[in-house]
Amino acid sequence: MNILVFAKRVAATQEEELRIRDEGAAVDLSKVPFKINDWDNYSVEEAVRIVEKTGGTVTAISIGDAESDEVLRRAIAMGARDGFLVSSGEIFHDPGVRSRLIQNFIRKENIPFDVIFTGVQSEDDQFGCVGGILGACLGLPYSSMVIGIDAVEKDHMIIRRELEGGLQERVKIAVPCVLSIQSGINEPRYVSIMGIRKASKVERKVFQAADYAAPASAGIEVVRWTYPEKKGGATMLTGELDTVCGQLLGILKEKGVFQ
Amino acid sequence: MSYALIIAEVRRGVFEERNLDSAGIAALLGKEAVMLIPDGAYEAGNIAETVVKVKVAEEVFLNPLNLKNILGQVFAARGNPDLIVFTHSSFGMESAAYTAGAFGFPVVTDVSGYDKEKGVFLKSYYSDKIFGEFKASGGPVVISVRSGSFKEFAVDKAAKAEEMEGAAPVETRTFVEYVEEEKADVDITKADFLLSVGRGIGSKEEIPAYEDLAGRLKAVLSGSRPVIDKMWLPKPRQVGTSGKTVRPKVYLAMGISGAFQHIAGMKDSECIIAVNKDTEAPIFQYAHFGIIADIHKVRDKLKEIVG
Ligand SMILES: Cc1cc2nc3c(=O)[nH]c(=O)nc-3n(C[C@H](O)[C@H](O)[C@H](O)COP(=O)(O)OP(=O)(O)OC[C@H]3O[C@@H](n4cnc5c(N)ncnc54)[C@H](O)[C@@H]3O)c2cc1C
Ligand SMILES: Nc1ncnc2c1ncn2[C@@H]1O[C@H](COP(=O)(O)O)[C@@H](O)[C@H]1O
Repeated sequence: MNILVFAKRVAATQEEELRIRDEGAAVDLSKVPFKINDWDNYSVEEAVRIVEKTGGTVTAISIGDAESDEVLRRAIAMGARDGFLVSSGEIFHDPGVRSRLIQNFIRKENIPFDVIFTGVQSEDDQFGCVGGILGACLGLPYSSMVIGIDAVEKDHMIIRRELEGGLQERVKIAVPCVLSIQSGINEPRYVSIMGIRKASKVERKVFQAADYAAPASAGIEVVRWTYPEKKGGATMLTGELDTVCGQLLGILKEKGVFQ
Repeated sequence: MSYALIIAEVRRGVFEERNLDSAGIAALLGKEAVMLIPDGAYEAGNIAETVVKVKVAEEVFLNPLNLKNILGQVFAARGNPDLIVFTHSSFGMESAAYTAGAFGFPVVTDVSGYDKEKGVFLKSYYSDKIFGEFKASGGPVVISVRSGSFKEFAVDKAAKAEEMEGAAPVETRTFVEYVEEEKADVDITKADFLLSVGRGIGSKEEIPAYEDLAGRLKAVLSGSRPVIDKMWLPKPRQVGTSGKTVRPKVYLAMGISGAFQHIAGMKDSECIIAVNKDTEAPIFQYAHFGIIADIHKVRDKLKEIVG
């Protein structure tokens, strides 16, 4: 089975203070660390596991600037055979633009595949769209929220989709198809610095995004970035650690959950 | 004619409450609403001008490939809507993207606000630390709406009932069965006091120390999704949309940022206390009390005081 797996390099903003620049025109990410999108890490691992069992190859593809090579090296260290960078200095916020770029790239370069994996969503933009749009554009069956792959056959797969409240549904899907992989589907292998260094010796191919751009007819654009509206917020407990913890215990007692 | 098409989210015979948010945004935009729903005895209420029952089974309707064909029929009969609205759920996320791709429509997901003056949709970026104002052009825009964002705008409407035949189900993707969650050792939905840990605890090795604290405080330990994904805690301990919805007297969140999928599972707790080292963590917007500190230090200090 030949699997194309998409991996995006994203800003790790969980512990960062984010500032908007130029009156809402841009978000300043200059001091923020970057990493592989968490969902894509699970997706690369799942692809590698399948290929380890059934044979075939995993090809990791990223769209982004030259720095995105980092996630390709990482994917190769995890077991991908190839890494393709579709290079662009521009950030495409519209997932439709990204999906059509991918569609054109796959078609024009004649890249063979049985299955395409994306993550359920990008950590930064949380669109959760690229896999679904791509699947529809390629005329292939699609499923998102894939939390388990129970069987891999030549012409179909049995997968599990995650729904709400801990419920799952088992689905039969024809191959070729596009699947968006949910976090927690597996335990991604550890990647050492040594492993990444070794992966650096494997050649990654670079393509120019401009060669695959689709004429835009319908789409979305971001007109301004804003900070979240404050909703009143919490009463902050401040002072020395002793004081703060004392206050916290006081609240627990007042609420009657701790004596 | 200009209208908003609402694709109802249903599951195992239940009409999901989040559909009110879909109705709400249609009303906010001043659109006449047509709601699509599969065959079944759903309690849909009067939240759209027209409710179209598509005569297919629920599992057929909830499949984006079938939905694409159903939508093709609807567009042919009624013309294109201005807006196609999904809930931002496992169903809505999947089908919004697929619909946009199939028809070449623009799409904005996880919409939590709308600015009427500017005609822009508000969408979260970076787990709610920043929001983008999105403008769509060229065709009906497909959106999925965040639960709780628009229900206040929903109004009583005529709910004229119509029926339509659905296209034959596709064979390339078919429903097999539902799979229930594994049985739990403890039911976190029954606890009065939850100590909930997030990715901020850093590693599995920290779990025993939080278990110990929970024991001393007589709290039950729960967690956010990453903690369960990494198998630091078992799945039945997960709080959030894809886990459990909890309403304890006290919810003490340590090292949890406050993504909406988490918030949706605990926002109705009587008292929420959040501990986080990031002053801008979105969870502080939902908490009643907040502490900006290193969670491990708070943990150790609490243990020291409680003994
Ligand atoms: C379809 C779908 C369903 C989902 N369902 C759920 C669900 O049911 N439940 C759920 O929780 N999530 C769910 N998620 C995931 C959700 O979007 C977030 O990714 C997740 O909630 C983040 O968890 P977190 O807050 O623990 O981690 P992060 O967002 O990484 O936050 C970690 C926090 O810890 C803080 N921190 C780090 N170190 C320290 C320290 N030493 N001291 C103090 N603070 C520290 C950081 O400042 C940060 O705020 C779902 C996502 C999708 C797409
Ligand atoms: N720039 C990109 N490069 C590689 N993969 C991407 C890119 N953007 C999106 N994807 C893939 O599509 C998934 C969903 O992205 P999104 O629609 O942005 O939430 C991600 O998990 C990736 O697998």
